[in-house]
Amino acid sequence: MDGHQRDLYLYERLNARVLGVSMDDVTTNKYFAQSLGLEFPILSNTLAWMGAPYGAYSDKPPFLPDGSPIRFGRRTVVIDKKGIVRYIKNGSPDNREILELLVKLEKEFQGK
Amino acid sequence: MERQTKPGLTLRPWVAMLIMIGLLLGGCAMMIPEKPQTLVPTDRGTAIFLEKYEFKRPPAGWLLMKNLEGGDFELGFLKVEKGAFPSQTTFIFDDEPFGNSRQLETRARQYCTRFLFDSGMFPEIKKQEAVELMGQPALAIHLEGENPNRNEKAKSKVYLIKKGERIISFVCTQWRPLSGDFDPEPFEYFETFVRSFKFLKPSFHEELNEKMRKLKG
Repeated sequence: MDGHQRDLYLYERLNARVLGVSMDDVTTNKYFAQSLGLEFPILSNTLAWMGAPYGAYSDKPPFLPDGSPIRFGRRTVVIDKKGIVRYIKNGSPDNREILELLVKLEKEFQGK
Repeated sequence: MERQTKPGLTLRPWVAMLIMIGLLLGGCAMMIPEKPQTLVPTDRGTAIFLEKYEFKRPPAGWLLMKNLEGGDFELGFLKVEKGAFPSQTTFIFDDEPFGNSRQLETRARQYCTRFLFDSGMFPEIKKQEAVELMGQPALAIHLEGENPNRNEKAKSKVYLIKKGERIISFVCTQWRPLSGDFDPEPFEYFETFVRSFKFLKPSFHEELNEKMRKLKG
């Protein structure tokens, strides 16, 4: 999240918007955003219906060594202007990879 | 009837094939990009890191740190020193320091709330001053903290420097057991490192800005 906030001015220049989606409640997200100084919205999606279509939720979870399931993971998804998913990455986001992709998408949309 | 063949004629296809193989192999060799050497000494008494940065490196005994996870720092050195654990000093160059503000003062506040957070020592800012480094506005922050539960303390010097639109950092941290004394010498090597540091290539963000500028054309 810190990295996205750091690059927010670049995302804006590349006509991209950032949305965070979390299973935490609104109050938790509010304080989380305040503590990091985040200026983009973080949606509270406690029932995970938003994460499921993008694969951030799984009915068949992987398991930790103690047998407990990990149903949710961190996942970055880039959706283009036409609503097409153009990028998915699990784990910590690679902001440089995302910025390179946004430049490529912007080129495509400009027809360059 | 015995068929007469000229030796020169039968050899020609082989020669051609050898030349072709040679060309193919030559082509393969050219297609594999050579990895730059990690640290190359120069005749100016400096070292060049991955063809990206040039600086005066600390003397023998300091080890180049490898970033295993990616993203924590760009380049760093470590010296394990005499004395009980954790007697050691590290210094790093980090082009994505903690925090997200592009204003130096705000970034310093963000940085200091997260710096050494995992150590549980919550270092205190002893001094913070505006300086100029690499011809750019910068902040020099001196921090110290201790964790009695782990019998350790740390002293750090952090430079946050405005570079273009972004903020980069140089950080030196010395660790000692609570009863140990801090040693000023490694901080002197750190100062030499910082003040000799040069960027040999445009950074990722500088290159990105150039691509964006061309896009807007």
